[in-house]
Amino acid sequence: MARAFLREKNCYVALLDPTERAMLGGLMEQTRLILAPEVELTGDAFTDLVASMGVSLAAADQTDIEPTDSDQSANQPASPDHPGHDAATDPSDFTDRDPALDRLLPTAHRGDDQVAAEFRRLTEEGLRQRKSGNLDVAMRALEAAGLSSGDRVVLDAEQAPAFLMALTDVRLLLGERMGMRTEEDAARLHDAMETIADDDPLGYALAWYDFLTWMQESLTHAVMGEGRPEPSV
Amino acid sequence: MFAPLLSLAPLTEEVTSAEEVVSPDLPWVTIVWNDPVNLMSYVTWVFETYFAYPRTKCEKLMMDVHHKGRAVVSNGPRESMERDVEALQGYGLWATFEKDR
Repeated sequence: MARAFLREKNCYVALLDPTERAMLGGLMEQTRLILAPEVELTGDAFTDLVASMGVSLAAADQTDIEPTDSDQSANQPASPDHPGHDAATDPSDFTDRDPALDRLLPTAHRGDDQVAAEFRRLTEEGLRQRKSGNLDVAMRALEAAGLSSGDRVVLDAEQAPAFLMALTDVRLLLGERMGMRTEEDAARLHDAMETIADDDPLGYALAWYDFLTWMQESLTHAVMGEGRPEPSV
Repeated sequence: MFAPLLSLAPLTEEVTSAEEVVSPDLPWVTIVWNDPVNLMSYVTWVFETYFAYPRTKCEKLMMDVHHKGRAVVSNGPRESMERDVEALQGYGLWATFEKDR
């Protein structure tokens, strides 16, 4: 039985049982995989800084040759240590991207692809790292709940915003996977819940989505100082 | 935006145009677009946290996003707008920048 987030002195506390924590942790892990920075932090501050600016210092990337259509269509196998890191994950490539990634890191200019591509080149690596960092904070908070008694997920004032942003990205991913792109989609999906079969994965996904919406709503109200007793579900 | 039943706090349906909350003659704007996932309360919290606008202004902007599909949330030089867009996308909002018309 879950209890939504409530403020307790200087922290925010929810009750999530092991199944709920495992579900949420798994979704956060999936979101983090999709958002995995092109370049994971190396520990070297300068290299990390340069990488966060969308510039790679890796030897393999030191080429001035712009990829051509034939280069991109060449069927290069993904390297074993970087599965899937091929042309499809090039930050400047708008085609062939996972639609969920386009929802998590959307275009920043509607109408000028060149401006949007330039913005993406400059910001995407940093955004991936920040979002991944938020998910890491949130996953650690869930793990910590397993080490204490009482199923308490406890967030301090710094962890709470990270948890909110992590929940947002998980819900964006789930929403995209369910085809929830407009308000009409959302209404249609919830209407379908009335007649959907018990074993339909869509119903399962939407139930968890609504659960996460409820969690996020409670944490948002708590951090905005509008916390109030919420009923358990 | 999606408003679950729990959040049905009385929100006044004031109609405020984007022009009223930003000053004119600054050439670039940051726009936040409506989406079915982000919560009304969360969007308000993001505006409050990032821009440090008063809550009433944050709620007006949020309602504009919700009802009109988009709202201009800041304006200024292009570099500032790019910074705002990057920050708002970090929060998971669909933010874009463009030259004001």
